[in-house]
This record gives sequence, structure tokens and C-alpha cells, in this order.
Amino acid sequence: MYAVTFHHMVVGLAAGSGTLMGICAFLAWLTSYISNLESSKSTLDKASYAASILTLITLPLAMLSGYYSVSDPSGSAILYNKFIFSGIAIGFTLSYIIGRRRFGSDMWNHSALANIQMLSALFGLTAIMILGSIGSKITLGESTLDIFPFWPEFMNSIVINQWISLSLLLIGLSSVIFSFRIVDSSA
Amino acid sequence: MKSRILVLSVILTLLLATSSGVANPGGKGDSNRDYTCGGSCHGDPSLSSPSSAIINVDIPSTVYSSTTAEVSVSISNLDTSDNGLVGIFLLGSKNGNSDHPEDYGWAIIQDPNGGLSNYVEVVSSDNQVTVSWVLLVPDDLGTKEIYVSIQHGSYYNHNNKAFIGETDAIVVNIEPVPENYPTLAEGWTSPVERISGDSSPITIRTVNTESLTVYWRLSGETSSHEATVDLVADQEWEVSLPATLGDTRIEYQIIASMNEFSNQMPWLSIGTSEPYFDGTSLGAKLQSIAFILIILGFMLSLQTWFAPRGVKKSIDHTTVVEESIVSKKIEESTSEPDSDYWSRLIKSDDNPGWLWDPVENEWVADPNLSGGEQ
Repeated sequence: MYAVTFHHMVVGLAAGSGTLMGICAFLAWLTSYISNLESSKSTLDKASYAASILTLITLPLAMLSGYYSVSDPSGSAILYNKFIFSGIAIGFTLSYIIGRRRFGSDMWNHSALANIQMLSALFGLTAIMILGSIGSKITLGESTLDIFPFWPEFMNSIVINQWISLSLLLIGLSSVIFSFRIVDSSA
Repeated sequence: MKSRILVLSVILTLLLATSSGVANPGGKGDSNRDYTCGGSCHGDPSLSSPSSAIINVDIPSTVYSSTTAEVSVSISNLDTSDNGLVGIFLLGSKNGNSDHPEDYGWAIIQDPNGGLSNYVEVVSSDNQVTVSWVLLVPDDLGTKEIYVSIQHGSYYNHNNKAFIGETDAIVVNIEPVPENYPTLAEGWTSPVERISGDSSPITIRTVNTESLTVYWRLSGETSSHEATVDLVADQEWEVSLPATLGDTRIEYQIIASMNEFSNQMPWLSIGTSEPYFDGTSLGAKLQSIAFILIILGFMLSLQTWFAPRGVKKSIDHTTVVEESIVSKKIEESTSEPDSDYWSRLIKSDDNPGWLWDPVENEWVADPNLSGGEQ
């Protein structure tokens, strides 16, 4: 019972912080192209960074509370999709935070890095929007994003065999470790 | 004394073990229940009131044994709570136990919600409800009784009372089935639901049937269509009904014929369920974590690939500090002390740690003391 209430609260926080992260990161990226925004670059960068950390805290909490809010969390494709898109949202948010931590606020002055960071934040925000849309479909039966003609209903899901998932997990872990080792050796 | 304490302890334990009786405003779901308020503990007069609803039950007064019969229940003048929920019982008696129609030989082929329960919950519309059960009539001849009972809430219901309504016995006369009377086989029940998109035929088992005709329609439609029927074995038929999607219900009516007899049975319905989903909780978690790491690995690789060298070290200022230390040491080692310069500097008692340069008119830190120390 409390899991549902807590889920509603923490989902609101995750959506809010995710939106702040995405919008501020996008505006920080725009500062390189719009001179009027130059003076706000530092503020936007810090706001986006703080919001991304809050998003990273709230997303797993939202997953956990959502898991205990339903009787069979993986019993249907639409609930299964929530797991997958939560993973995608956390992946992009974590990439954004690590990128910001590695390169500092100077990264916005380098177009390639700025592009990657902006895309990480926006993909994270998109995944959070999809999560919200799926949640709305489950509880209300409809979503505001239904107005888009290309917005899928997420009634089907791609279920990967557990062993393949485990292999992907190990590949992902290896690539993360490998990326960090490259950074260490080149620094 | 000990025995009194023991008795009191037992009584106290029993009292504490009881749960408080409350109404169930959200309903308790369809199930098989006896008359006693459907297990909702509304037997206490302070917890229940008579319903103002009018209950009409329509069932043929004479039916043939082992054939199907429809019990139609119309309830009007309902005053329900916000959710409009009404619980309806179909009973064989009002004893409080063994009241299920099956205890009296009836078999439920389909309840109003497509299941096989004698208690269903439905939502009323415009203060009225009409539902129907399809029953298989008992084998034993004579008279049987059918009862209908209802329970619901009320819009103005501050005491959370349950409102109970019930009918008197409806007597049904069961006569022997005419010889060779075509009907459904004993034990056959209609499928409750089909998987969305499934167009596989449903199997109907009959007795004394020479030909079978099946009509179908979507729930809410008035016009019906004839379905394709194939005889696959003796008294076993396969009926092809179109696949349904979403939450659509399809209704069908069976007409079994043998010579001059034609038995037109009540409309039955089949719901649509979501396709079977083979995802597991562990699989979902593994897949989610795998996605996190794959995305993270990919994005970190991109960051590493595109990072210019200068930026890469922007957070790590170790080299900058090291370079400044080295350059300072070189500067110190290469710079020779200028004796003329140092000799012209004047110590000041007022500014310890500093020397006055009268040529350049500036204060210089005394190298013998920490520069600028007071």
C-alpha cells in the first residue's frame, strides 16, 4: 500500500529532476552557439549536474517502489518495458554524470564532448518520458504522448533470454572497465 | 483459580483473534459463495439494511433435465455507492451453507462475467442492472428452487452499511428430456476467454445432435453472423469464431438439432485475454542491468574517443602543479644572487620580513625570513 504512495512521490521527483537535467544540459550545449546564453553556462551546467545526480538517486527508488506496487512486476509486456526503459534512463544519466565528473565544466567548450553529453541527457530524459507514458497507460489507460502518431503503445516487449542478458551484462561491464582503463593509461 | 485464569485467557485470545467486521466497498470479486452475506459479515442488523432494489428473475417455469436454461436477473431502483458496484448471488437455498446451485444439481455453464461463479459483481448503470447465468439443468426430476440475493452500498451511507436484497424461492419444474432431445453434453462448459488474436476453433460436445448451427456477434451488437461448424468426432464439433483483440467480448448462440427437435440455447460469451507473456522477474532485472552497462560502456567509449587531450586532464591539475614546481626549481637554481642588489636593500624594523629597495622604490620579501611574514 505504501509502495504505491511512495512510487507516486518518487516518480514525480524522478520526472522533475530528469526534465531539469535534460533541459539544462541542452541549454548549456546551446551556449556555444547562442552568445546571449554564454553568461548562464556555468549555472546551467551546475543545475544539470545536480539534477542528474538527483535523477540517479530517484530512478532506482522508483524502480524499487514500482516493483512492490504491483502483484506481478514482470507479468506483462508493458511492465517488462518499464524495467528496460528504467535501465536505459539510468544508463544515460550515469553516462552524463561520469562524463561531467571526468571532464569538468570545460567539456561544454569542446563540441564533440558537448554533443555527447547533451545527447546523453536528452536520451535519459526521453527514456524517463517513455517511462511516464507507460505508467500513465497502466493507471489511466491513456497517455498525453498518444497525440503523437508515431508514439508506440509499448504493449509488446523484446524479451531476451536470461543467459543472453547475462552475456550482455558482462560485455557491458567489460566495456565500462576497458573505457576507464584507457582513460587512466592516456592521462 | 487456575482454571478461571485459563478460561479467561482462552476467551481473551479468541476475542483478540477476531478481526473487525467491515463492509467491502470495493467489492471482493467473483467467487462461489453461500447465502450468508457472501462472507462479508453483514449478519449484524446494525451493519446492514434492506435494499430498496426491485429484483426480477426470469427463468422458464418448466425445463428439461440435462439441457441448458438461462436465468435472467433484472434489478432496478438501485441506490448504490459511488462506484455503482452490486454483488449478485444465484443460490439454490438460503440455509447459510451449501447454498451453491451446484449443491442442488445445477451446473453453471457461464456466469454474467464470463466465468463460472454463483456470485458476481457488476457495475450498475442508471440505477439498474440486468445479468444472466446459463445453467445446465439437473438430471433429477421434480421441482427445484432458485434464489437471487444482492448486496450493495449506498451513496449516503455514513455507517458503511451493506444493503441486502433477496427474492423468494423461484420454483422450477424439471421434466424428463424428450427422447433424442439435442443438447450439450454433461460437463461441457464454455471457454471463459481466448488469447488476443487467437482464431483457433472452440470445441463443443453435444448429445443427440444431428446438426449444429452457431451464430456469433460482438458484445453490444444486435445483428448476428453464422459461424463455420465442423464435425470432428462423434458429437464433437469445432466452431470457428473470429479472433478478437483488446477487451472485446464475443457472444455465440448454439442451436442443436435432431430431426424435428431444435434446441436454441442462450447466448454465451467469451472474453479476450492478453497474449501469454514469458518474461520473468529475474530476466527483467538482468536485462535492465545489461542495458545500463551496455549504454554506459558505449557512452564512456565515445567520451574517451572524442575527448581532446587538454580536456581530458582538466579535472586533474597534478601535471600543472608539477610543472610549476619544476619551473620554480629551475628558476631558483639558475638565478645567481646579485650581491649589489641585495646589499642595497634596507631592513626595516617597522616591517619585519621585508626589505626596502631605494632604487626601485618597492618592498622586497626578505629571503632569510618567509616572504612577507609579519
